[in-house]
Amino acid sequence: MNEINAGSSNDELGDLTFEQAMERLDSTVQALESGGLSLEEATRLYEEGIGLARMCSETLASAELRITRIRTAHGEQMRFLAEDSAGYETTEC
Amino acid sequence: MPAIYTVSQLSSHTRQTLERDSALQDLWVSGEVANLARPGSGHSYFSIRDGSATMRCVMFRNARGAHYLESGASVILHGRISIYEQRGDLQIIADIAQPEGVGELQLKLEQLKLELEQQGLFDQSRKRELPQFPKKIAVVTSPSGSVWHDIQNVVRRRYPLVELAIAPAPVQGEDAAPAIAEALQAAANEPGVDLVIVARGGGSLEDLWAFNEEAVARAIFASPVPVVSAIGHETDHTVADLVADLRAPTPSAAAELVVPDRAELIAFVVGAAQGMDASISHLLASSTDTAQQLERRLQNALPDLDALRMQLDDRLRSARQLLGHILTLNGERVAGLKLRLESLSPRDTLRRGYAIVQRNDDGSVISVHTQAAADDAIDITLTSGALQAKVTSTKQA
Repeated sequence: MNEINAGSSNDELGDLTFEQAMERLDSTVQALESGGLSLEEATRLYEEGIGLARMCSETLASAELRITRIRTAHGEQMRFLAEDSAGYETTEC
Repeated sequence: MPAIYTVSQLSSHTRQTLERDSALQDLWVSGEVANLARPGSGHSYFSIRDGSATMRCVMFRNARGAHYLESGASVILHGRISIYEQRGDLQIIADIAQPEGVGELQLKLEQLKLELEQQGLFDQSRKRELPQFPKKIAVVTSPSGSVWHDIQNVVRRRYPLVELAIAPAPVQGEDAAPAIAEALQAAANEPGVDLVIVARGGGSLEDLWAFNEEAVARAIFASPVPVVSAIGHETDHTVADLVADLRAPTPSAAAELVVPDRAELIAFVVGAAQGMDASISHLLASSTDTAQQLERRLQNALPDLDALRMQLDDRLRSARQLLGHILTLNGERVAGLKLRLESLSPRDTLRRGYAIVQRNDDGSVISVHTQAAADDAIDITLTSGALQAKVTSTKQA
């Protein structure tokens, strides 16, 4: 669920994890702020950065916590709080 | 003659005898602290006594519970008996001090802590960094308690990008320690898990006891991913807390510590977008300025086009006149040249009665008498027609 699937025009950016997208966003902002870029390069970075920002904010806005259960020796006999018990996925180990 | 020892031999023999007695090498003793001295080394030198006896003690710097030592304080010490041979003092080398009145459980706990500490399980150097953006967090706790509920709520609010996987285990009772150890192992080795939280709500020392067991400590130590402990309340410090990569004061605090805050991340992204807007706007504005300056400079550098055009017209006009003049002059010259050429033409000469004499064999013009000999055939070109003749003789003019 950390994969960013927002419809990006850039396929390469679309493959980034949330963490990678945040890191790249950070370095893009720094590169733009440090200056010394040609107008073409700056424009390219700007477009990429805005794409990254959109992907990150969409991921942050739309994420939903996923709850799973790991099998343990005693886990099968244990009772979950009634209000929490719905919607568990049990992962195989 | 009986054997005569030197003092050193006797002292050494006595020390070795005492040190061979295992009961004297791992003992607990209770009494009152007296004559406490802590020189620059940081070690504690003192006596421990009861109503009728006194023994010398030394406790090295950083030993567990050294802060409980105060003159007049009633304490329980753990340590071993030895002899300080230079002075012939029988002394206790203490490695744990606890206040008088603590229970057996506490003393056992202090002893386990000492053992694990010596084996390096608490070393600061092995504490690992937590992942900044965890992807899958395993939580070892009871599924029925409020701890699991609280952790879910905090993580859902702060960072719902993560997967939260519970590894259920009983957190108190006789079976708890091996069950927690097993759940820790399953959690830490679950594919994708990059962080483990081991948590339990508050309780008495007995309630929290499972987290003081060696099996749990070893399981935390063996985890390939960082482990955050959150056991009991802020004031409780279990062995599990000491081995964990990070100790959180409460389960909710653990959840806060392990994930970033979504609101802060959104603020970062918004700030990043604004920063990029500002950077590109600045660059565009300064590029536009530069372009405008260049344009102005270019305009200033350009000559007056209308004046140039008039100048050009003038020049074209005079060039055209000049050309006409040149053409006229050339025409006259050509006519003159034509006349001159015509006057040089051999036709004119022939018309005046001259003739051109050429050798018949190679067509070469004969202008000197030596160019022909008697009997040579020659051609004579006249202004109209030609003659073919034969040389009868030649002579010098």
